[in-house]
Amino acid sequence: MNTKKVLSLGLSVLMCGTLLAGCGGNKEEKGADASGKTLKIAGLDGGYGTKGWEAVAKKFEELKGCKVELQFEKNIADTLRPVITSGKDVPDVIYLSIGAEGGLTDTLVKEKAITDISSLLDMTIPGEKGTVKEKILPGFTDSFTSSPYSDGKLYLAPINYSPCGLFYNAGLFKSKGWEVPKTWDEMFELGEKAKKEGIALFTYPTTGYFDAFFSALLNEAVGPEKYNKLMNYDTATWKDAGVKKAFDTVGKLAKYIEKNTVSNANKEGFTKNQQLILDNKALFCPNGTWLPGEMKDAPRAKGFEWGFTALPKLTADGDAYSTTFSEQLYIPTKSNKDNKELAKEFIAYCYSDEAAKLFYENGGAVMPTANATALIKDDDANKLFYSVVEKGAKTNPVGFAAADAIEGVDLTSADGILYGTVNSVMTGKKTVDQWYDAVIKAVQKYDK
Amino acid sequence: MNKTKEKRRFIWICLAPATILFTVFMIIPTINVFWMSTLKWGGLSANKTFVGFNNFITAFQDMNFIHALQNTILIIAVVTVITMALAIIFASILVREKIKGQNFFRIIFYIPNILSVVVISSIFGAIYDSSNNGLLNSMISLFKPETWETIQFLGNQDIVLYAVIGALVWQAIGYYMVMYMASMSSIPEHLYESASLDGAGKFRQFFSITLPMIWDNIRTTLTFFVISTINISFLLVNALTSGGPDGASQTVLGYIYKQAYNNASYGYGMAIAAIVFIFSFVLSFILNKSTERDPIEL
Amino acid sequence: MKKKFDNVDRLYKVFIYVALITLAISIIVPVAWVFMASIKENKEFYSNPWALPAGFYFQNFINAFEKASMGSYFFNSVISTALALIILLVVSLPASYVLARYKFKGKRILNTLFMAGLFINVNYIVVPIFLMLMGWDDTLNISFFLDNIVVLAVVYASTAIPFTVYLLSSYFQTLPKAYEEAALIDGCGYFKTMIKVMIPMAKPSIVTVILFNFLAFWNEYIIALTLMSGSNRTLPVGLLALMQASRGKAEYGMMYAGLVIVMLPTLILYIMVQKKLTQGMTLGGLKD
Repeated sequence: MNTKKVLSLGLSVLMCGTLLAGCGGNKEEKGADASGKTLKIAGLDGGYGTKGWEAVAKKFEELKGCKVELQFEKNIADTLRPVITSGKDVPDVIYLSIGAEGGLTDTLVKEKAITDISSLLDMTIPGEKGTVKEKILPGFTDSFTSSPYSDGKLYLAPINYSPCGLFYNAGLFKSKGWEVPKTWDEMFELGEKAKKEGIALFTYPTTGYFDAFFSALLNEAVGPEKYNKLMNYDTATWKDAGVKKAFDTVGKLAKYIEKNTVSNANKEGFTKNQQLILDNKALFCPNGTWLPGEMKDAPRAKGFEWGFTALPKLTADGDAYSTTFSEQLYIPTKSNKDNKELAKEFIAYCYSDEAAKLFYENGGAVMPTANATALIKDDDANKLFYSVVEKGAKTNPVGFAAADAIEGVDLTSADGILYGTVNSVMTGKKTVDQWYDAVIKAVQKYDK
Repeated sequence: MNKTKEKRRFIWICLAPATILFTVFMIIPTINVFWMSTLKWGGLSANKTFVGFNNFITAFQDMNFIHALQNTILIIAVVTVITMALAIIFASILVREKIKGQNFFRIIFYIPNILSVVVISSIFGAIYDSSNNGLLNSMISLFKPETWETIQFLGNQDIVLYAVIGALVWQAIGYYMVMYMASMSSIPEHLYESASLDGAGKFRQFFSITLPMIWDNIRTTLTFFVISTINISFLLVNALTSGGPDGASQTVLGYIYKQAYNNASYGYGMAIAAIVFIFSFVLSFILNKSTERDPIEL
Repeated sequence: MKKKFDNVDRLYKVFIYVALITLAISIIVPVAWVFMASIKENKEFYSNPWALPAGFYFQNFINAFEKASMGSYFFNSVISTALALIILLVVSLPASYVLARYKFKGKRILNTLFMAGLFINVNYIVVPIFLMLMGWDDTLNISFFLDNIVVLAVVYASTAIPFTVYLLSSYFQTLPKAYEEAALIDGCGYFKTMIKVMIPMAKPSIVTVILFNFLAFWNEYIIALTLMSGSNRTLPVGLLALMQASRGKAEYGMMYAGLVIVMLPTLILYIMVQKKLTQGMTLGGLKD
């Protein structure tokens, strides 16, 4: 086996050409002159737009005297994949979330092709006095999306956090005199009431949004300690009765799903599902705080007003959870060695008050720092969304621990066994038990 | 100069450029696909492990792959049968019958074939729209009472594959019709005249003259059906449903992409690619052999 | 008796026309709908999508050209398609001619090889091609083969060789031997005979080949997406990005304008050459 490994490695060098050795982070370049250098940043032109990045890049250029090149595209995963395979002109910093369409970041994590940036935490933020560690909100850097290998090291910097929960039309609730349900029992009661008025209880953009929704539900069902084990593929914990309860709850939702949802639950039609909330055709839709921005030009029912809530509780004395979704910023191992320090400085700079303000004012993204959260003004619609935690909901990190790929067993992607099967449960093609059994079977394969 | 030598030189000069380009950009990459199919590799890093035939063994135990392969076979079978039947019928009408606007129909029928798959998927996205605004649903609702539930063309897992097939037939009819027209118009007119004198009606003429005379042509198009349906069904499904809901409309090529990219299993994806290559080759070979008939004597 | 026969005949005719017209409508309506949608204002998309446009909103096209830079993508597409067609014809015509009309050693192998090439699907060889080009760049320590529109055209041409050689050689086989023999007796060399006599006779088939491959190259996006990593996008790749962008922002008008920009050149070329299309489609049997 070992000789085979060596052989294939040799061949892969031949085939792939460039093989960059792990690039040393011990090259002390702090405060070194960065002028003349060009930092390449590539990322997704997503829900927050690109204006924030342009503004931050410009300030960083002034601060460091370097040049910052931005490449932001809708289908950045498609564009970057060949670039990263080739190892040539790989961007110094990539902004693309785990779980984003195209699975690029997920693959990089699985292939261990992301630079260890643990030293970022002790770096002084450019233009400020404090370190990154002091700035960043607690809990963010030890989630599986930031530190995927459970080795205590930081690989992906968490940025742009946003609570995920259920969006609804607050105006409609007011005019009908309905209460936002606190428990799932109340939720389903409301479902019956709404049904009589010809309104469906629930819709979802695509099954990809179940990562945030379902993990909050799991957390409600088993509590944070077991939840952490779930995300580590612990089969015994997956067989916990609470887990099954979470599956059953989704199964019950099938009775109340807006009938066109599954038809449109793909990248071609997902905005039609989001439109259902605006048109009063469905009551709740799981999503993140970028939704109002994404739908800002869409027509809406009279008296429409965005409402946002954490997930209902499973039991009256249980906890309500809202998934905190954050995006990731990282340095691929194949990027230019000489730029790694500068790249880290850029990431550090993103946590500065100045950058946080620019991000927030140009697109509404909120950095996971205390000062950034304070930027949200009282009259801002966002205040409502971000105050969900103050109202008593617990936050829930999202994402599985990194694991080697298993051929043919896609557990965690949007179309994978855990989330993709939701479509079949909604159409009645598969029962909750079939779904649950398939998940257990897949988890067993990942459980080491 | 020696005549045979000159001839030989001419032959090889003519063949060399095409052969070289073909070898470099098609044969070598295909050999590479087979090589990569023996690797465990995510596609982005240099971490590759040789695993022999493991990926192939995994594939034949992977129900999602089997399902995607079944979908593809069903699509090929149904698209071929329907498209071929319609294309032959329309071709023989346009060639044999005196029809007003013959040219007009011929031109129009070919149009779907020149459209990009992106355009076709936008069109069918609107046609199959599950709300009352969808073309098909709004047409059906004209004949149905108020309580009519719209049909979930792309959301119902029992229907979605046929919705995809509908779009594929729509885009392919014109292409094959023109092919059949080309060979029908070369059938000598006197065959029909003498058959007509013998009292053979239109249907008899169709089955005893037209069909046998274009038989070779039909056999050839069978191979085209296999090759192009595998390819276009992937492109269309990718744009229209992304293989959903829950894999119900997934094709083998789509599954390659899902595994290679979303599941970080690039080597495994290439193993499936190798299977698809061999599968299409063998299927065409079988179709070609099983439809062999003795040539017709004129 | 005669009357009854007439009735059956008339019924048959009616049936034929109904079938023809139904199919024609099923094609015209959706295509016309895309054209109509491209001149609608955004707000019109939220009412009945089958309604006629309220006016002629040409701004969609201006937006597509300016905001989504479809103009420069269009230029890239024209260059890559034209270049690929030229390369394809230059290499395929002589090869097809020789394969169709000469006997020589290795002919069977070559024929089989080209035939097997029909089964290779570009969707899965695109990454190996990419890695190969990248390897060349690395070995020669240059940056030439990737993100190069000429190389893209060469790859397009290469992937189309099997089908083109097959179509052309099928056609060459149908041409009578007499012309060639006469030309050779007249003292024309092999090259001259091919270029002056035989290739012009294959014109209908060449037109067909041009149309087929024009459609394939013009609409291709998987190879272009992988090999052209920079801003040198082609039109279909740009269209995909535009569609993703407009879904989020609900700029449907611009999206349909993009669809029309991609569709129009193919329609125009097709209308121009459609007469020749049927003549050139002579298919030979597939021989293994």
